[in-house]
Parts: sequence; structure tokens; C-alpha cells
Amino acid sequence: MKIIGLSDPEVEASLRNAGIGMSVAEARSIAEVLGRDPTLTELFCYDAMWSEHCSYKSSRATLKEFLPTDGPNVVMGPVEDSGIVAIDERWCVVISHESHNHPSQILPNEGAATGIGGIVRDVNCMGATVIATADPLRFGNPYGSKASKVRWVAEGVVDGIWQYGNALGVPNMGGDIVFNDSFDDNCLVNVVSIGIVQRDQIIRSRAPPLAGERGYDVILIGKPTDASGLGGVTFASEALREEDEETNRGAVQIPDPFLKNVLFKANADLFSLTREEGIEIGFKDLGGGGFTCATSEMGSAGGFGMEINLDDMHKADDFPAEVLSIAETQERFLIVSPPELREKILKIYNEDWDLPNVYEGARASVVGKINTGDRFTVSYKGEIVCDVPIQHLTQGIRYQREEKERIISLAEPEMPEPEDYNEVLLKILSSPNIASREHVYRYYDTEVMGNAVIRPGEADAGLIAPVRGEKFGVALAVDSNPFYGRISPYWGGATAVAEAMRNVAAIGAVPSTLTDCLNYGNPEKPEAFWEFREGVKGLAESCKKLYLKGYEDQQLPVPIVSGNVSFYNESPQGSVDPSPVVACVGIMKDFSKAITMELKAAGDKLFLIGPRFDELGGSEYYRTILGVTGANVPIVRFDLERNMIYAVIDAIEEGLLAAAHDISNGGLAASVAEMALTRPAKFGVELDLDNVQGSDNGMRTDKILFSESSGFVLEAKPGKEARLVELLKSYNLEPMLIGKVSNKRRIVMSRAGNAVADLELDGARNAWTTGLAEAMR
Amino acid sequence: MKIAVMQFPGTNCEFETLVAVKTVGMDGELFRWNRSAGELSGFDGFVIPGGFSYQDRLRAGVIASKEPVMNALKEEAIKGKPIIGICNGFQILVESGLLPGSVNGSGKVDMALAQNVMVSQGKIVRRGYYCDWVNLRHDAPSKRCSASFIIERGALLKVPIAHGEGNLVTTTPGLIEKLNEESQVVFRYCDKNGRIINEFPFNVNGSTESIAAICNEQGNVLGMMPHPERAFFAWQLPAFDPRKQRPDEPGPGRRVFQSMKRYIEVNA
Repeated sequence: MKIIGLSDPEVEASLRNAGIGMSVAEARSIAEVLGRDPTLTELFCYDAMWSEHCSYKSSRATLKEFLPTDGPNVVMGPVEDSGIVAIDERWCVVISHESHNHPSQILPNEGAATGIGGIVRDVNCMGATVIATADPLRFGNPYGSKASKVRWVAEGVVDGIWQYGNALGVPNMGGDIVFNDSFDDNCLVNVVSIGIVQRDQIIRSRAPPLAGERGYDVILIGKPTDASGLGGVTFASEALREEDEETNRGAVQIPDPFLKNVLFKANADLFSLTREEGIEIGFKDLGGGGFTCATSEMGSAGGFGMEINLDDMHKADDFPAEVLSIAETQERFLIVSPPELREKILKIYNEDWDLPNVYEGARASVVGKINTGDRFTVSYKGEIVCDVPIQHLTQGIRYQREEKERIISLAEPEMPEPEDYNEVLLKILSSPNIASREHVYRYYDTEVMGNAVIRPGEADAGLIAPVRGEKFGVALAVDSNPFYGRISPYWGGATAVAEAMRNVAAIGAVPSTLTDCLNYGNPEKPEAFWEFREGVKGLAESCKKLYLKGYEDQQLPVPIVSGNVSFYNESPQGSVDPSPVVACVGIMKDFSKAITMELKAAGDKLFLIGPRFDELGGSEYYRTILGVTGANVPIVRFDLERNMIYAVIDAIEEGLLAAAHDISNGGLAASVAEMALTRPAKFGVELDLDNVQGSDNGMRTDKILFSESSGFVLEAKPGKEARLVELLKSYNLEPMLIGKVSNKRRIVMSRAGNAVADLELDGARNAWTTGLAEAMR
Repeated sequence: MKIAVMQFPGTNCEFETLVAVKTVGMDGELFRWNRSAGELSGFDGFVIPGGFSYQDRLRAGVIASKEPVMNALKEEAIKGKPIIGICNGFQILVESGLLPGSVNGSGKVDMALAQNVMVSQGKIVRRGYYCDWVNLRHDAPSKRCSASFIIERGALLKVPIAHGEGNLVTTTPGLIEKLNEESQVVFRYCDKNGRIINEFPFNVNGSTESIAAICNEQGNVLGMMPHPERAFFAWQLPAFDPRKQRPDEPGPGRRVFQSMKRYIEVNA
């Protein structure tokens, strides 16, 4: 394509006509490095590799500036498709976390399904067995002006997730759903996947040492390359406009869990082959940026060049070189391996697992060679269609974006106390953001693989026992509250980390690592970039000040080993609320010690830790009952938070607790109610609010009940109360005895001797279990 | 005692099923669909695990039922060897005519596992895929069926289901009556006390007469929608089940695999 010698408007026009998203300056810089006009294929390859999605060109500097990514348990930080942390000397958890927002807004079913499909590939390609997924989802207001579109998106996304995950055979162990009108035109579909691998069996996504000298093969496996998902990364790196919906559909990939299921088993045979032969290979999935991204990054990471011949690629049709190079056809992987393994590898895929008969045109093909040069060279039909410096292509570019605080007007409401707390509580329990998630998670196969110990709905985090004969358990929880992010992007980030850690602590697991999927608006707008920077600072602050348990004396942070930045989550109507979505992996040495949140026995004492503060900004109570956002957002009091998390973990380890639940959305009232309403829902509670810290100095009852200040409600095992109090006090906590589990099937909350709320259990359960289904129907 | 755990493209429960087979003391081996069907005669029993064989194309189980290995399994079934089909495995057995084993001995398909339709108080409250733990009542006498050989009539088992098509329906006149009379209805969905309540959530998928599992006339072939291999250890039980607190104990589903083993021993 001609660039040199043309004017800016002329270059701009030819780029746009060709469907290339890069700027004129970027195109000129490429021509300059090449010393000639780039070919069309080269421009498409650069466009994909230099997209925000692939290159993190706006975000990288900020991430590097703030986020802690290393620690004593880190086996691999955020350098490849997934991060890895150690469980013990032998076993490791592999984790990856991504967004699939734009595709899911346009084609919810396919978009969400390929989100799951992509994230499990990221984990599998490290040599790992994928053991779970999780799905933090954000949808628009199901009762707002765009309700029917919002519900269509929500239903399609959930369908896409279960259809893919269930067919693949990987359990969905956690997730959350938040409805909020900032997501009306731009849903968020974040996907998390974890896997397990032995430390000495990790496979890297790079051409191994000596691959160039020995002329290693580049082998493409899986589905035949087609034109699907063309320009997916570029599409992910622009704001959504309704008028582009039709053309954007072509950028959404096509999922196939069935082929993936077979590929995973073939991959397992590949991994055993390399172990048996004692030969290191490189292995990588094809995701954003397609074939070009996977090949060039593998070569570049090993410090080599490569020659690719697209004639040898198995393809669905006779597509042009630029399509074959960057289409995001799903269910593909790339191997870099020595020639002596070639026949064995081809046999695994083409004969043993019979890919060509499982899916038309699927197979393994040798498509190129690694060399000791520094070029990424692609030929097709007798022509060189791409010949560029490989490092230049993969290193991308960096931008220093401007930031400017977004000023919004915030105010605390002035209102009388509600007269009827029963009505308020029922309304909160049936709110789509508080109601039981059962309507959704019954679609998810949580049992496949037989590893589930604690499943969605039973506790604040899911827990799996992934290896028979080993006692350890892996816990997983996700969190982010967009309402807090709207008021303060900083505290939105900090509270997301704190809550995700509380969630895994509530079952007894020690937070081991975090991932972050940072969903923001257009970074070219200074306010959006400011929100992003604030969010990252908040995340980092919580990681650094809550410490990695076991290393608190050295004040080491909880590491973030994987993540993703998703900008351009906006439509002409505005950007989404700042949403730094966090996933937390927790490790339990003995999974049989884990506890759940449902009340266990009548007469058991209930303790609260975490004083109530007047910080109801963004709370369910303010929004659902009063219709306001408020100003006083919950903050993280780092020392208090850390002490609470550590104390709960220790109490569970010591066997003092029968149940635990963290306090978050809906405050103390919702947390206690959820403990009573969770299956089998046999018991009621009697709460005495007089003992809640805050009530003594006249805090209003509605603020006590609905403040979302961090905390835990703990059900002590009978006879263990004194020891529990002692343990909590050793962490400088002031345990508050707030009531007991009762045989009466009622939720009763009293203050100064009078019942302020008194709900019959079945009625409350009905409200709580129907709220989500009604919002999604 | 060699058991083949069948593997079709799209099968996804073979690994935990293999663990179950081996843990009760049988030799288990994965048997991939493209292996020579003739090798199957060397096995003493067979499990067709759950999953989405051939992507549920056309209908769940129908394509796998046409594979050469299924013809070989029919021959093994005639010899009296035990075959257990779980979830998609049940669907494959029905589509291949191995279950219910035909009224007239013709080997034709007499029933189907249709889409789940959850009915409560006369209203459809939900359709399609559903994953939860359910209670099963063993409705056949012990020794009637290979896979419940050691289970007493009336015994209760808590196991999970996870399927979109488990609603057993038939248009063959008299078939359900015959299954009842011949004690071929092996498990039914029930409440925690063993009562059959023919509506959601107890009848979890709308299945005729709450049927969860049936066997053929001879009793050696069983198909069940619930997953006994996922209820194999007590720690796998849901949080509210008191047995969960005894993590080293076997789970309720283990008796299905122990039954298979006992059946093979008795018939050896």
C-alpha cells in the first residue's frame, strides 16, 4: 500500500478503505522502519499487533508503575498467556483473566462462548489441565429504558457461557452479575480460568533455546483458518457505535467447544510426549491477533526469526494472505518443536485424535520454520507477503496518555428513617443485584470433573479439590462494584481487591494471587485515563497493604500474576462505570476444613467483625430504596481489613467456625439474611443490633443494617465462642456478639428491645430466589 | 476384571468415571471411538460416560449410537456383560436401541430423552439445562440390575444431575407399564424422604413418572441421567449434607460401581 509520498489525508483514506484502524503516524513509522511502502498484509499484521488489545500501548506504563507482580509464591508473572503461582513444592495454579465485552454486546451467545473458549486455551497452553472457569458479568438496567436489549444480551451471554463450558467439560465455579445502567450499551463479559500443572511440566509460549539453530518446525493445529473474527482486536480497541453493529458482527469469532474438547485431550498427549522424550517445545494458543500474533510472539520471545508459508496452512477456503494472517478463527494452537518430533506430533492430532474426521478440515500442519534471523517472513502463492523485523512487530508502541480528574457532583441524601424495615429488606433481597444467583448457576455444570467441594451459592467463593490423593483445595472468587467505582475509581479498585480476598478467606482459603481485568472507557479521553490510573492505584494499594499471608512480617504484597486491560467500553451515551474486575485464588492446605455460609445449628452464636461506618455511597440501600448514589463510598481500612481476613482464616483453620459470610452488597442485613436463606434454609436468626459497634453512639438503624463497610458475620461452633473471641482480639478486632441462630423460621432484628424487622423465612426466601429470574426473563 | 470406559469425540466425564471404576477395584481403561471395535470383546464390562458426544448433533447420542463400537457393545450385551450409560451414555443407549431393550425384541428405538421441562403447579417454570443435586429412590429389587446389584429396594441416593435432555418420554403403548411390571425402572427422582412427587423440583426434568434410570429386560444394561461418578466421595456432596463432614467416606454414587463389580463377580 502506498504511503511514502502521500499526504496525511490520502494515507488516512487508504487505511480506512482497507479496514485498517491504525493512525497515519503509525503507518508512516512502519514505512520508515521497513524503508519502503508496506504490503497490505504487513499493515494488517501491524494493525493487529499494535492494537490496544494486543500491545497495551496506553496502559503498560501505568501497570508497570503500580502493580506488584512478583512474590515468593510466583512461578510466572504476567509475561505469557497466564500467570502461575505455587500451591506447594510440586503443584501450581495457572490463572488467566480476560474480557470479551464488545463481541458479547453485538452477538451475546457467540461473544461470551468464545470468551470462555479463549480463556481456557490461555491456561491449557501452559501445559495445564483446566479445572474451572468463572464469569464476572455486568449488564445494563433490566428495568431501564433499554430493558429488552439488556435482557437479550444477558440471556444470550449466560447461554453462551454454559453452552461452551458445559460441553467442554470444565466447571464454572464462581462469578457475579451486576446490573447498572452504565452497561446499557456496553455489557462487560469478563472470563477467568484456572488450571493446575506440576512445576516441572510447565510449557512456555516461546520458541525454546536452539530452536533457530536447529530449524524447529512451526506447527498449526486445530480448526481450519477461515475469515471469522477478522479484525477482532481492532474492534475491541474502539468505542461501540450502533450503526457499526452490522459490520462488527464479522469481528465476532465462532465457538466450537466440541472440537476444543477433543483438542484438549490431544494436547494432553502432546504434553506427555514431550515429557517422555525430554524435549522442550513452545506452545501457544491463537487468540487476539490470530496467526500472526501467535507465531511472531513465539519467535520473538525466543529471540529468533521465522519463515512461514501460508500455502501449507490448512484453511477453510482460499482466503487472501491478510485474512489468513489475522483472522481469529477459534480452536487453534501453535507448536514450535524440533523436526524429530514432527511425525509423532502429526500422528497425535491427525490420526490418534483423528481431527480431520472430527471437524471438517481440522488437522495439524507444519507451516513454517524458526531461524536465527530477526525477520518475520511470510510467503503465499509464490510471493513474499510480509517481511518485517520480528521484534519491531511484537514490541508494539507506547503512548503516554493524558489524565484529568473526572469531576462529578456527589451528595449524601437527607431522608427520614424508613417506617417499615420488613418492606425495605424484602425489596433489597429481591433486587437483581442482591437476589440469589441460582437462576443462572443452575445452567452451569459445576460438577463435571468431580472436583467441586464448594459450589456457587454455597459460600462466598468456590472451592475445588483438583488432584485425587492430595489434600489441597483451590478457591476462586471474583469481585468489583461499579457503583463504588463511579463515586471513586480509586476506592472502587481498592475495595475490589479487599472483597475478593474476603471472599476466599470466608471459606478458609489463604489469598494467594489476584488477577485484574480493567474495564474502562476510551483512554484517549483524559477523564477515562484518569479513572484507569486511579483504579490501578487502588488495586495496587490493597495488594501492597493487605500482604501475602505467611509473609506479613516482610510486608510482601499479594501478587497480581495475570490480567487484561479493556479500554473503549463506551458508546456515544457514555462510558461504563470504572470496573476493575478482580479474581482471587486462595489455597487451602486441607480442603476438608473449608466452611460454607448457610446457618448450621439452632442456638449457635453469631459474631460480627468490622464496625459499621456511615459510608453508604453506592450502596444497595441508597440506590434501591432511596434512588440516589450518595457520596460516602466504602473505603478499605487496610490494617482492619487485613486483621479481619487473617483472623477468619485462622479461625477456620482452628475449627472454630460453623459458617462465615462476608459483608458487602446490602450490608449486614443482607449478609445475615443470606446465611439464613441459603439451602437448606432450616433456621432463622435473632439479631440484637444494640451490640453492633456504631449503635452505641446513636448510629441510625438503617445505616447499621445497610452500610456496606467491610466485615464478616461468623457463626461460632458451640463451645468455641471463648476461643474465637480470644483469637479475634489477638488480631486487635472487637468481636460483637450480635445474636444467635434460632429454631423459629424467622429473621428478627431488634434494637433497644424492639423488633425493627421480623420476616418469615419462606416469604423472604421467595423474594430472594425470584429476583434474578424476573430481571432476566 | 477389565472395564472399558468409552470415549467418543465430545465425551467429557471419562476421567472421573475412570477414577470411580478403578477405586472400587476394577481395571479400567479409556477406549477411544476409533480403536478397533473387535477389542471390546476382551473386556468384562463397559461404561459410557457423560458428555456431548458429536456435539449433540441431530439429537443427543444419536451419532455415537451409529459408531461401529456400539454394534460391538450390542454383541457384548447379549453375552450378559454389564453396560452402564450415564447421562449422554444413557442417551446413546436409548438411541442405539439397547434400552429399553425393546418391547418386541426388534432392537428399535422405543423412547427418547427429550428436553427438560420443569413443571410446578401446572405451570412450566423452566426448560432445558439444569445442574443440581437430586435424591434418587432405588425402585428395583437388589440383584435385578447390574449397576444396582447390591442396592436394596427403596434405598435413597443423593447424586448430581447436569443435563438438558433427560426427560424420558415414549409413545410406545404399554412400555412404561411393562417397565414397571418387570422392575426395569431402577431409579426415580424423589424428595429427601423418598416420596415421589411428580413435579419440579423433585421431578427435576419432567421425566415420565419421575424415572431417572432404567435397565433392559436382562438387567445387565442400565442407563441413568444422574452422575454417580460425581457423588463418589462424601466430600463431593453439597454443603448442607451432613455426610460431607466425613470426607474420607465413600459417596452415595460409589454403590453403582460396587454393584457393577459384584455383578461381574457373581456372573463370572
